[in-house]
Amino acid sequence: TGGRRGPDIISTVEFNHTGELLATGDKGGRVVIFQREPESKNAPHSQGEYDVYSTFQSHEPEFDYLKSLEIEEKINKIKWLPQQNAAHSLLSTNDKTIKLWKITERDKRPEGYNLKDEEGKLKDLSTVTSLQVPVLKPMDLMVEVSPRRVFANGHTYHINSISVNSDCETYMSADDLRINLWHLAITDRSFNIVDIKPANMEDLTEVITASEFHPHHCNLFVYSSSKGSLRLCDMRAAALCDKHSKLFEEPEDPSNRSFFSEIISSVSDVKFSHSGRYMLTRDYLTVKVWDLNMEARPIETYQVHDYLRSKLCSLYENDCIFDKFECAWNGSDSVIMTGAYNNFFRMFDRNTKRDVTLEASRESSKPRAVLKPRRVCVGGKRRRDDISVDSLDFTKKILHTAWHPAENIIAIAATNNLYIFQDKVNSEMH
Amino acid sequence: MEFKLEAHRIVSISLGKIYNSRGQRGGIKLHKNLLVSLVLRSARQVYLSDPCPGLYLAGSPVPPPQPGEPAAGPPAGWGEPPPPAARAAWPEPETPPERPAGPDARRAVDAEPAAPGAGDTLQGGEAAATAEAAWRRAEVPRAAAAGGAGDPAGGADVCPEGPRAAHRPCACPPGGEAGPGALSCAPRPAKDERPVPPPGCPRKRGAAAGDGPADCPAPGSSPLKKPRRHPEEPAGGAAAEEEEMETGNVANLISIFGSSFSGLLRKSPAGGREEAEAEESGPEAAEPGQICCDQPVLRDINPWSTAIVAF
Repeated sequence: TGGRRGPDIISTVEFNHTGELLATGDKGGRVVIFQREPESKNAPHSQGEYDVYSTFQSHEPEFDYLKSLEIEEKINKIKWLPQQNAAHSLLSTNDKTIKLWKITERDKRPEGYNLKDEEGKLKDLSTVTSLQVPVLKPMDLMVEVSPRRVFANGHTYHINSISVNSDCETYMSADDLRINLWHLAITDRSFNIVDIKPANMEDLTEVITASEFHPHHCNLFVYSSSKGSLRLCDMRAAALCDKHSKLFEEPEDPSNRSFFSEIISSVSDVKFSHSGRYMLTRDYLTVKVWDLNMEARPIETYQVHDYLRSKLCSLYENDCIFDKFECAWNGSDSVIMTGAYNNFFRMFDRNTKRDVTLEASRESSKPRAVLKPRRVCVGGKRRRDDISVDSLDFTKKILHTAWHPAENIIAIAATNNLYIFQDKVNSEMH
Repeated sequence: MEFKLEAHRIVSISLGKIYNSRGQRGGIKLHKNLLVSLVLRSARQVYLSDPCPGLYLAGSPVPPPQPGEPAAGPPAGWGEPPPPAARAAWPEPETPPERPAGPDARRAVDAEPAAPGAGDTLQGGEAAATAEAAWRRAEVPRAAAAGGAGDPAGGADVCPEGPRAAHRPCACPPGGEAGPGALSCAPRPAKDERPVPPPGCPRKRGAAAGDGPADCPAPGSSPLKKPRRHPEEPAGGAAAEEEEMETGNVANLISIFGSSFSGLLRKSPAGGREEAEAEESGPEAAEPGQICCDQPVLRDINPWSTAIVAF
């Protein structure tokens, strides 16, 4: 497993489309990219592990003098572009500015210049007696990262998500009230496609919390709201997609009503399945699977940590109730994963309906050790290794998780540590 | 009655969060503040819907914060019942035998939420005016301390209710004393919390949930240790305090929070969309927006209640 130490808290984790690269962003505005080592023929059991490939400073803190506001450098989201040539590209965003980074490798350098010597100094021309063609010689691998585009000034509110379109030419960025469509090559303008800002801000009742393009249909995208609803929009229907094509909403269970009902129904993440048929949403206590063909209610609901339902008041006080957990599909859309507290994360097998709680911590997982399932006991019979609800550490939260697009490899961000777990053995989770 | 107390507490916590958010790095987070304002409104509804007319007709102004009162931490008397006003037809809380006076007697559990008028007298036997004074004082330091208190209950301390919530059953009374519109207090009665891990919201000190007079809590648990911040006062003192009201504090808070969610975000009133766009610049001098409740009774409410109601 790879691990990264440091004071900076990881704020986003994303595999690229092949799973060869894993990017993380942190609160300090840095991006660290890990690369999976190719399998070694000598040791076939040590399948590729992830090592640091490149580190760069993506965003710096800025100050908006007009509004007397500091703009945080924290990386909110990273999205990889599909690879179209030898270079890799990714989009990284903070609250206000999206940047396109190009990552290239250099493993050869030209040698044998006629006019310059090895150090680059001009040669004395009198010593040049013949012409030679410079040749490329191998060198130590150098990974170079350069900012190719800066998409600035598109958002008044805080950007919460970006999503690359399947057309590989456009992408969208969403803030609390608006969604903009950009062309990857054009930085000086964007198209606003969703605007839910009310004419009178006093009438504000909901904000956009996440958004994503459909994986196959370049005209479809979904955005989630703080009220727990999802809106599927079709860009071919109208230029401004304020009117949704489909509205996915589950009626509230009146027996669960409390002061905090609205907060816990706010959707913190939405992800299309790889198939494009389903959507996965995360709210404070549950993950839900929605069928695009059924708007009335989710087809599956999984309790992540329902034992917290009776503790919402405390969680409101210590702000934990505002934590935004992400969710993820596995490559075959059969298992979903999300994080929780105490460095626990949960996996739900949609077929077998089994679920497991695992812990990401150095104490409980040595390299190549098998993760032991954990259990939170809520009273009643307590087994030996159970954790009681009251001893959960709410400062250890797993907000960001990612699943390799094809294999059973998961990346778990636990505060400022990154855990990568690989399932070497074919598990029943498939 | 405990819904009202819970609502009361949630209102103050929420106001504190909104207040603190103004200084946050990166600007005001619209999403979080919207959610907080929704909680605030829910709590306000419960607060207003609870039949305690005395509260609203009190007209008693908010006294200035006690000098030397610590900025952080739960203000004393926070969990105390809303004050029966001197003028209102609020029944004096007779001292029922099961409610001995004094801080040590907090163990006694009043498990009867349906007791009308007597309220949830946590400090049994307290004089009406004392409760009123305590309540008023609790409001202001809570809000004034918001700036200094930082994170409310960063999990390292017990639920701020502390001992005052000792015997307030928070679970919905069976049959629901609260009307359909009222919201249940979210946390169930929990066991004694431990200070280090963020506790379940502690509502009961006793071992059993929702029961009558509970056992004394475990010796090591914190609730016993929190002293009350203010001594009992004679009824006359309360009236005198009304005279000493310092409106500056309250006026500031009203101007900060305005009368609606956006009131706290906007620098200037409706005109100037560009300013409105600058949501995050903070309401340094936000003007009070329009009154959102036009019941005549509102005009009689003291300024602090207005701020709460308006929210």
